Amino acid sequence: MIPFPVLSIITWAPFVGAVLIMFTARHRPLAVRLIALVTTTISTVLSVFIYVVYDREAAGFQFYERVPLVPPLGISYEVAVDGMSLLMVLLTSVIIFAGVFASWTVATRSQEFYALLLALVTGVYGVFVSLDVFVFFLFYELAVLPMYLLIGIWGSSGEVRPRGVFAWAFRQTGVGTKEYAAMKLTLYLLFGSAFILVGMFALYVNAGAASFSFLDLEATTFDPTVQFWVFLAFYVGFGILAGIWPLHTWSPDGHASAPTAVSMLHAGVLMKLGAYGVVRLGMGLLPEGATDLAWLVGSIACVNVVYGALSAMGQTDLKYVIAYSSVSHMGLVMLGAATLTEAGLNGAVFQMFAHGVMTGLFFALVGLVYEKAHSREIFRMGGFGRVMPGIATAFTVASLSSLGLPATSGFVAELLTFMGAWRSAHPWWLWPAVAGTFLTAVYVLRVAKQIFWGPPSPHFHHLEDARGPEWVALVLLTAVIVVFGVAPGLAIGPVDTATVPLLARIIRP
Amino acid sequence: MSGLGPFALELGLGALLVAVFVAGLLARGDDRRPIAWLATLGVLALLAVALLLEPAGPALGGRFVQDGLALFVKRLFLTATFIGLLAGISLPERAFARRAAEYHVLVLASLLGMLVLASARDLIVLFVAFELMSIPLYVLAGFRKSEGEAVEASLKFFLVGSVSSAVMAYGLSFVYGAVGSTDLGAVARALDGDHPLLQLGLLLALVGFLFKVAAFPFHMWVPDTYEAGPTPFVAWLSVAPKAAGFVALFRVYFEGTGAHAAAWVPIAAALATVTMLTGNLMAIPQQNAKRLLAYSGIAQIGYMLVGVAAASASGTAMVLFYLVAYVFGNMGAFLVVEALARAEGSEAISAFRGLAQRSPLLALAMLLFLLSLGGIPFVAGFWAKLYVFWAAAEQGLYWLVLLGAILTVVALFYYLVVARKMYIEPPDRPGRVPLSPTLALSVLLCALGVVLLGLYPKPVVMAALRVAAPLF
Repeated sequence: MIPFPVLSIITWAPFVGAVLIMFTARHRPLAVRLIALVTTTISTVLSVFIYVVYDREAAGFQFYERVPLVPPLGISYEVAVDGMSLLMVLLTSVIIFAGVFASWTVATRSQEFYALLLALVTGVYGVFVSLDVFVFFLFYELAVLPMYLLIGIWGSSGEVRPRGVFAWAFRQTGVGTKEYAAMKLTLYLLFGSAFILVGMFALYVNAGAASFSFLDLEATTFDPTVQFWVFLAFYVGFGILAGIWPLHTWSPDGHASAPTAVSMLHAGVLMKLGAYGVVRLGMGLLPEGATDLAWLVGSIACVNVVYGALSAMGQTDLKYVIAYSSVSHMGLVMLGAATLTEAGLNGAVFQMFAHGVMTGLFFALVGLVYEKAHSREIFRMGGFGRVMPGIATAFTVASLSSLGLPATSGFVAELLTFMGAWRSAHPWWLWPAVAGTFLTAVYVLRVAKQIFWGPPSPHFHHLEDARGPEWVALVLLTAVIVVFGVAPGLAIGPVDTATVPLLARIIRP
Repeated sequence: MSGLGPFALELGLGALLVAVFVAGLLARGDDRRPIAWLATLGVLALLAVALLLEPAGPALGGRFVQDGLALFVKRLFLTATFIGLLAGISLPERAFARRAAEYHVLVLASLLGMLVLASARDLIVLFVAFELMSIPLYVLAGFRKSEGEAVEASLKFFLVGSVSSAVMAYGLSFVYGAVGSTDLGAVARALDGDHPLLQLGLLLALVGFLFKVAAFPFHMWVPDTYEAGPTPFVAWLSVAPKAAGFVALFRVYFEGTGAHAAAWVPIAAALATVTMLTGNLMAIPQQNAKRLLAYSGIAQIGYMLVGVAAASASGTAMVLFYLVAYVFGNMGAFLVVEALARAEGSEAISAFRGLAQRSPLLALAMLLFLLSLGGIPFVAGFWAKLYVFWAAAEQGLYWLVLLGAILTVVALFYYLVVARKMYIEPPDRPGRVPLSPTLALSVLLCALGVVLLGLYPKPVVMAALRVAAPLF
């Protein structure tokens, strides 16, 4: 249909950028940024392009490419997108495009920073477009590992010093420092990938050990016991990345310590990658396992929603508030998926997109505020709305989307999820979900009021609003929130073409 | 001449050994490095010959075979020895310059034992080769004879080693008693009958092999010996004799035994479990880089035992591939430690602080080695781990795969601690780390091995599968 390998270009353009930056742009910070900008622009433009030309009538996997890698073992580089991955590719593009602008001011070792960031992005794109489960796993690892150095080198440590009974132990392990957060995040995510690896092998061996292709595995009907255990393995493995309770604790630490662009990308896209893994591989390949374990997925998701929101209320560090809100919202994503209804699943996928953009915007704003005020302590700040009206406005839009105000993308996502929960086999899931939204309103409005709209804080002088490149990030992300809130059909259309066949496989006995 | 064909490598090495010995007798003066060059280049020439050789039929009435498996591992031994000797040439201490002949004769003698061991299809040949390989190692471990720790480590190595050799010989005597022949083919055939004595003998003999590969509970000598020995030697000690131990293991326990190989699955799986656990958990608190690598090496052996536990042709092949990846990754890591130790005078992990800002390429090489040992994609160790897990999953050992995969997370913790020192923490002192050209070249060879095998493992995997297939 299209005469060039569009998905490969989207995926590998940032990687080429990373290599170019490593080898050509030594000690030339502007060149580094331009290379990063050009390569991510290529990916972004092409993502929008495929989003527009994707044939919704035909549906299914499109823009298919396949190159055999290890023929005897059935491994091939096989990429394609359906409605669901299409939206995720678009999300990744939006976030990284904004992220390049948001981290324009990184000063120390910026060459390595951008190279690692772009390598990471290739991993993320790769996961969303891969149809080969093995290659999917490779990209997944590529998306996890650069994170260690990105957080460890360019991250920031929290200002809160450990107190209480365990203070000594916390100080010994370095809780709250960026090194601790980086190590914790990496180990948690690799722990998850151990489960994914075993699940992957179990599927491969049980399917007759001929192919790792998603399409071939999808055509195989697995034994119910295998389905149960493999789904559980995938749920735990990918669920860690999606921040399921009680394995979510890496996420607040990691996101709070990470540099701005990395928080944006991690909370905005990588956590979605976990949810995407559960839906694509878990529910897509193991319909019976998904049905058997839906009660577990949904119930834990309810805990996530409420627990995440309550934790966010208790934080005094701005980044931790946003990080815990991600835990809460990822609960909504998993809840939508667990309902096994069309509305719920559409809501889950839409929530991944809506929350990704919203949290990307949040972290971009928090990064800007931190850079200008050099503080993340909510109660030290106040009245910033007067001096940084642009940032304040964008923060308010993100807050309103977060609590699900109509005309923002958050509203559509939450409404669909609630409808799904109500129609599911466990209607009681609706109550924790609604309670979570209410609690979200409490904590985000409280933060917005304290920082931007309250009386001016005596601690800060000469603060400025966003500048030059930073505006690009803010305007782009705010616009996406509003556009998809007003016209949700833009996203629901393609997503529906992917979720309906997926559910048809699950519901058919 | 055709009768000598299968022995080409062994004869060549024997000649080299004599040449080095004679050169040592004739040499005068305090600097005898030319002898080191003679040995190193000789091994390189033998490696070139080994790459050209084709598998040949059995010789000496089937006691000695130059089959694909033997050739595969002989190439590996020669590669590892070449890298190890190359890195050792520039050892700064005077003792090495003066006693170069001694050092190289011992290394080459041990190497000769390995080469013969890889081809041994007879209990007597096997045992003699095993001892020929081991005894020079005890001497080499105590090469710095004026240092108390080296002597202690050497003695510990020697005592544990000789006890396990004795137990092995005892076990092999039972095997001979039950079978009535020293031919390994006859031993494999005898498994069809019900011989409790044979089983007991094989079990006792296992002790010797486990000592050599440093599996739990025969691993205690490893950290002390590694810490006290000269690092280039330790780098070689940590890979080559291990590979030899595994090959002997395959020869005795798998070759020709067919379905009986499955009898060893529970034992191998249990050993793999405890070895992985011990190595990984004990590595966490280490402060000395060589001790860290010693324990991480024990863990690596545990992963190879996962492949052994598969007790299949693919499992065996994947262990062979693992060994190749391990040779490059582990030797490389030791050699970077050596480079830092020469510059800083310290083998502590803290010597790595800020290395990325002082010598970015050396730090990158170390990072690659660590990632390879940790099993991260796009470097050799990833495929190695993946393939042994794969082989184990094929046999339904999912619990072992899960355990192994979870323990790689533990392993990554201590590898990342080193990465953190190099990349995140600031340097204690400015300036590049000086690197002698020979050491730099050997690090480069290891890095190339790790990267090339990581990007394109297929030829080696295919070769390993091809040579392992006839065993079953």
